[in-house]
Amino acid sequence: MFKKVLVANRGEIAVQIIRALHDMDIEAVAVYSSADKDSLFVHLADEAICIGGPQPSDSYLNMTQIVSAATLTGCEAIHPGYGFLSENAEFAELCESCHIKFIGPSHQLISLMGDKANAREAMKSAGVPVIPGSEGDVTSIDQAEKIAEKIGFPVLLKSAAGGGGKGIREVDRPDQLRDAFEQAQREAKASFNDDSMYVEKLIRNAKHVEMQVIADDFGNVVYLPERDCSLQRNHQKVIEESPCVLISPAERKELGEIVAHATLKLGYTNTGTYEFLMDETHHFYFMEMNTRLQVEHTITEEVTGIELVKGQLEVASGEKLSFSQADAAVKGHALECRLNAEDPENNFAPQPGKINHLFFPDGSLGVRIDSGVTNGSFISPFYDSMIAKLIVHLNDRDAVIAKMRRVLGELEITGVTTNQAFLYELISTDRFKKGTYSTSFIENDVLANRRGLDVAKSV
Amino acid sequence: MLQSRFKMPSREELKKRMDNIPDNIMKECPVCHATFFSMRAGKQRTCPNCGFGFRITAKRRAKITFDSFNEIDSDITVPKQYTDEKYMAKVAKAKKVTGIKESVLTGIGTLDKMQVAAGIMDPFFVMGSLGSATGEKITRLFEKATDENLPVVMFTASGGARMQEGIHSLMQMAKVSQAVEAHNKAGLLYIVVLCDPTTGGVTASFAMQGDIILAESHALVGFAGRRVIEQTIMKQPPKDFQKAETVLQHGFIDAIVPRSDLKQVLTKLLALHQKKEDANG
Repeated sequence: MFKKVLVANRGEIAVQIIRALHDMDIEAVAVYSSADKDSLFVHLADEAICIGGPQPSDSYLNMTQIVSAATLTGCEAIHPGYGFLSENAEFAELCESCHIKFIGPSHQLISLMGDKANAREAMKSAGVPVIPGSEGDVTSIDQAEKIAEKIGFPVLLKSAAGGGGKGIREVDRPDQLRDAFEQAQREAKASFNDDSMYVEKLIRNAKHVEMQVIADDFGNVVYLPERDCSLQRNHQKVIEESPCVLISPAERKELGEIVAHATLKLGYTNTGTYEFLMDETHHFYFMEMNTRLQVEHTITEEVTGIELVKGQLEVASGEKLSFSQADAAVKGHALECRLNAEDPENNFAPQPGKINHLFFPDGSLGVRIDSGVTNGSFISPFYDSMIAKLIVHLNDRDAVIAKMRRVLGELEITGVTTNQAFLYELISTDRFKKGTYSTSFIENDVLANRRGLDVAKSV
Repeated sequence: MLQSRFKMPSREELKKRMDNIPDNIMKECPVCHATFFSMRAGKQRTCPNCGFGFRITAKRRAKITFDSFNEIDSDITVPKQYTDEKYMAKVAKAKKVTGIKESVLTGIGTLDKMQVAAGIMDPFFVMGSLGSATGEKITRLFEKATDENLPVVMFTASGGARMQEGIHSLMQMAKVSQAVEAHNKAGLLYIVVLCDPTTGGVTASFAMQGDIILAESHALVGFAGRRVIEQTIMKQPPKDFQKAETVLQHGFIDAIVPRSDLKQVLTKLLALHQKKEDANG
């Protein structure tokens, strides 16, 4: 096992990784930007090195600085967390050439999965069902029209290089394709400097279901119970739960065996998540693979009792997986709400600022709060606006929802506007209670409903 | 003032840690001066910022240029008559670095199913200098191309005639030129790609005999070196002196092609120059 590991991230995930390292008696080195000098993760680390200014490009994306810090402090490995450099193949390769273990899959697989079209081809040949769509990159409107005609409307246009909701358009009818394609392509070019596009069938009323795997160097793969991440706004996840209420144990096993087989076939190691759309007749369609730890890995830890960061460290250090498929069974139900400093009344605009007062209602069975902030912390405008992940895990889903309502009701935070009330509103809806919500629920029902109310008020 | 907090390792320990970082991990582009991680140069070995092509071995060039490449005359090497110790050491090192036995790699390559006789000079083999065996290999390549009715593509990269082989190396200029002439008389196409650096006896012979002369961007193309010229004319040559771009302006080059486009351009040129009966067949 490693003796010393550098954490190339910030906020709550840096806190969680440092805690996991300490639990395993490994020294933790933090790197931080000048904006984070008083952050919790910097205090928790055994050593901390300031690597640059607040702009991510100067610090958390600054590969030279991070590798220099790891070398100076004698770290054997780097944990990239999520976001920042976690899915950067070049960084993984740089670590390798500097004799530092990158805690994640090989740089070849990161770059394969980073290209949507290639990832889809690789999945198809590994036996994973994919959404009908274009073979290879689409660069012209004529090409897009031909493919759309073949697979049938509605279609989804996506940037081949993209992510984060940029360069994406839904197209219902043939006459809308031309404008939508031009817009999406322009956006893709501006965001990723790559205007190659991808056209696929749009699955309406779909659930976003994802399955995480973890694999070691010895050909052992364990798939973990699925997560339902359908509650999204603008392609950003808001609330996640595990397991998905609509999926039967037989379906879980079938999907799990598909992804485990693909993982083995790809030669994929460490952890990764296969994201699927599930249509109303429970067909699964592969969307993309995240080659890293995810924000919502917490609910999987809760329902399985497996510590995933620990698992990542074990396999990265060349050890065998310390648990088997039988250990990854579903035990109860877990729910996660992402508490963000954002204003739901103002199109969810980020609300940076100082947290004057903070009270987390932890301290009862099944409540876990992952956070990188404390009283007096500052939510920086330079980074994402997440304050905490509120997680509840109990045997029964109804009890989970009831406890989450209590937690959200009791939580106190002043100084910054948050989405606390919005989360409360979401878990109180009938659709949420039933578990039948789809990816368009927030946009088409909750928010549309609100806009309707606003119109009614003004009349 | 921000305070990093870490245990400073001992001098010996720090040195040990620093040794984990390979020496050539960063590269600076000599053209645009951007610095980047060496691996970002990719298979083509180009600057990720401006596209400038770094010097590459003949084997790598064969791999990135042709769909397939079958080497010929691979055993021809420096003749036994040369025994100078320093020279032999140089040749031995060059063989190790480049994986070939003379400063040119010759063979039959294919581009989009079209066959072409290809010669690729290796700037890492004694500066790609023109030795007796280099001349022999290129001559044989042209003779084979003439016999088999094939076009020739020649990538030149050379410091000039190989001084260690004296007059014999200079004689290669005439020998190769005659083979080029015979190939030309047979009505066959000869394309030259001037790579960095193409100088001396190579410039003065087969590098300038092509029907079509292409060059890689920013390649040094000239005859005598800058210093020799400075000392002869007692004047400072202009800044862009002997750059492919300058040589193009003066009409000695037909086009400058970035390395990333080279395969495509060569394929197109070969297709356009195929004989009619070939095209129909």
